[in-house]
Amino acid sequence: MAQPLLQHFCQILYDSPFGTSVRESDYAFSVIESVHVLSITLLVGSISILDLRMLGLSLREIPVTRVARSVLPLTWAGFGVMFVSGFLLFWAEAAKSYTNPAFRVKVVLLLLVGLNPLIFHTTIYRRVAEWERDHRSPWRARVAACVSLLLWGSIIVAGRAIAYF
Amino acid sequence: MKIKLPVLPLVFATLLTSVPAYAHHSFAAEFDGTKPTRLVGKITRVEWTNPHSYFYVDIVDAKGHSSNWGCEGAGPGALSRRGWKKGDLKIGDTIVVDGYRAKDGSNLIDARRVTFPDGRTVYGGSPGDGGPGDNGTDQGALPGANKKS
Repeated sequence: MAQPLLQHFCQILYDSPFGTSVRESDYAFSVIESVHVLSITLLVGSISILDLRMLGLSLREIPVTRVARSVLPLTWAGFGVMFVSGFLLFWAEAAKSYTNPAFRVKVVLLLLVGLNPLIFHTTIYRRVAEWERDHRSPWRARVAACVSLLLWGSIIVAGRAIAYF
Repeated sequence: MKIKLPVLPLVFATLLTSVPAYAHHSFAAEFDGTKPTRLVGKITRVEWTNPHSYFYVDIVDAKGHSSNWGCEGAGPGALSRRGWKKGDLKIGDTIVVDGYRAKDGSNLIDARRVTFPDGRTVYGGSPGDGGPGDNGTDQGALPGANKKS
């Protein structure tokens, strides 16, 4: 039976000894799940502080660059652990994830949420020195902040929805 | 503030497409507590998997039609603590499964009590799933479940 290459790759991961051992484990799967959730709280919690600062909803007296310097290392640490733990869960369930519509939505949203800071940092953030002390950041920065909050929120909803399809 | 995100409603619309239940969820998310069902049949496949396990049985109804049914149980960790180990069910074993039908009407039940060929019964629900027999503990409180053979 012809199979898309990506699905074939998912099946290889799924059938591998490691994927199988996580999928069939008594405790490893649930421990990895917990680490995944905790790392998401670190990632989304920390980046939200920067987003809310640019929207003028928190830390208004503190320059945007200072807030960024303080939260971004935490965001990246959260991202690293989230990505690794998420990949391990995917490894264990890959063949099922492939056909899961909520998982597909989540992957698309993750790609979009990666694009957002890329655009932000190469455009409006280049001139951050001009507006870092504004209580409310310029509209382009506020759009990026809203998109970030919206996408991360949607990713969490889509991630949870994987369980219901 | 101008935010244009026509993508989001579209992608979430795709969430509405229905495929079988796979990952971790409560009893009521997928199953109907008013539709108790007993299946007696031969094991055709076992998926000893997180976060829920699945096993499949071939049954023959009163009219002689045979069909294959999926049974969803708790994950390997919870089942192991009840003494049900990987490999306890073998292809071709005849088992009795008491459970509840899936809300979507598919050939899937939530296995609340499984009776092995040797007469042993094991509670099949996930701890804390809120389904019949769930009292928040590993062993559950379903009448007739967890009987040694």
